[in-house]
Amino acid sequence: MKGRLVALWSLVGIPLLWGVMKTLQNAMKLFQ
Amino acid sequence: MTASFLDRQHTVAPPGFNRFLVPPAALAVHLSIGQAYAFSTFNLPLTKLIGITAAAPGDWDLKQVGWIFSLAIVFLGSSAAVFGRWVERVGPRKSMFASALCFGGGFLVSAVGIHLHQLWVIYLGYGVLGGCGLGIGYISPVSTLIKWFPDRPGMATGMAIMGFGGGALIAAPLSVLLMAHFKTATSNGVLETFVTMGVIYFMFMMIGVYAVRVPAADWKPTGWTAAAQPKPLVTSAHVAVDMAWRTPQFRLLWVVLCMNVTAGIGVLGQASPMIQEIFTGHVTPAAAAGFVGLLSLFNMVGRFFWASTSDYIGRRNTYMIFFALGIVLYASVPTLGHMGSIPLFVVAFCIILSMYGGGFATIPAYLRDMFGTYQVGAIHGRLLTAWSVAGVLGPVLINYIRQYQIDNGVPKAQAYSVTMYIMCGMLLLGFICNFAMRAVNEKYFYRGSTQS
Repeated sequence: MKGRLVALWSLVGIPLLWGVMKTLQNAMKLFQ
Repeated sequence: MTASFLDRQHTVAPPGFNRFLVPPAALAVHLSIGQAYAFSTFNLPLTKLIGITAAAPGDWDLKQVGWIFSLAIVFLGSSAAVFGRWVERVGPRKSMFASALCFGGGFLVSAVGIHLHQLWVIYLGYGVLGGCGLGIGYISPVSTLIKWFPDRPGMATGMAIMGFGGGALIAAPLSVLLMAHFKTATSNGVLETFVTMGVIYFMFMMIGVYAVRVPAADWKPTGWTAAAQPKPLVTSAHVAVDMAWRTPQFRLLWVVLCMNVTAGIGVLGQASPMIQEIFTGHVTPAAAAGFVGLLSLFNMVGRFFWASTSDYIGRRNTYMIFFALGIVLYASVPTLGHMGSIPLFVVAFCIILSMYGGGFATIPAYLRDMFGTYQVGAIHGRLLTAWSVAGVLGPVLINYIRQYQIDNGVPKAQAYSVTMYIMCGMLLLGFICNFAMRAVNEKYFYRGSTQS
């Protein structure tokens, strides 16, 4: 059950973190 | 895949099932349909399908293309209202599957429209079919999550609805990457991107279809018991959807949601030109795009933060904060603009957008508090018509009043001041409606069996 929990959260979490990272990279331009 | 796999009775969780497996299932759907917030990435490329690098005769214009998103939002609200009861009856797995078919299918039909260069096919594909996928997908995990987390309904629905905000953060860079990858001398890559995204999103949503489970009828979290003394404005009774929407509470909540969304959605749509015009010469288009991204991020984070907070301070108090703080922040924006303070201006709008997202994410738990869990998904679906109205009202208010001001000789940098004060008025109306909220009268309570 724990493995499934980690796998599922990773499947949705990794794309979300990628999106957040890309957004923050763009947002930095606002303060440059 | 057999039909029975999709049926509600086959999704009942076995004893010992970990309830934290359900939020990622909901997130898989909401992160996908949240792509809608990033649809504007396709607007310009869709106006250059013939000319490739620049618009050519026969290419569609921005106004025509803009209707695709508007149609999708209208069908989001209407399908959530129309199919809400069906979603409650068939359960989350079948409704998520229907949503995946509509949303993924909407992209594929639109790709056919691009291939044939027929705009009405795209209206039908992404606007109507995709819009139905948005509406069904948006409400499908809500009541399931509320049943899994009776101790933290705000946090649970906040987690899922956070995905709708987060979907844009993934879709915007993904669309740009895919279009760049598929671009050739004879195509700007939009058609191929639509096909790819249709397939990717269908598969991603299927993760949710496979993973979602409903709790057994008698299931409760270990060690949790319902409060013997119910909190104020939290009912232990149930109200059916057909009765709920006749109550004054439903109408008040409709106005509360509509006012909160109107205030935020207008800003979200005009954020880039607004910051560039208020701080003329100090904010580049690239920096303005960064500002839009930051607002989207706070829109997402606010969904989880405020909905979780509402579990502790109560739903009505949470909305009181949204409206009171919103009024203060909107009223201060013109002053911040005159002061030329970009950081304070950005902070003010980040908080405003966090409350915009928070309003969406807290409303399912508010509905559960007022009407019980019996048909909360269907009631939520009907309430989302407020979103459709706000989706038109917010941008129209911002755009038309700005234009009216400019036409009457007001400098561009000051053209938003009146709009901000009008937003304050709308938030005041929301505040009054929220303040007037009382418990639902017993005459509306559902007396039959609530076991599905």
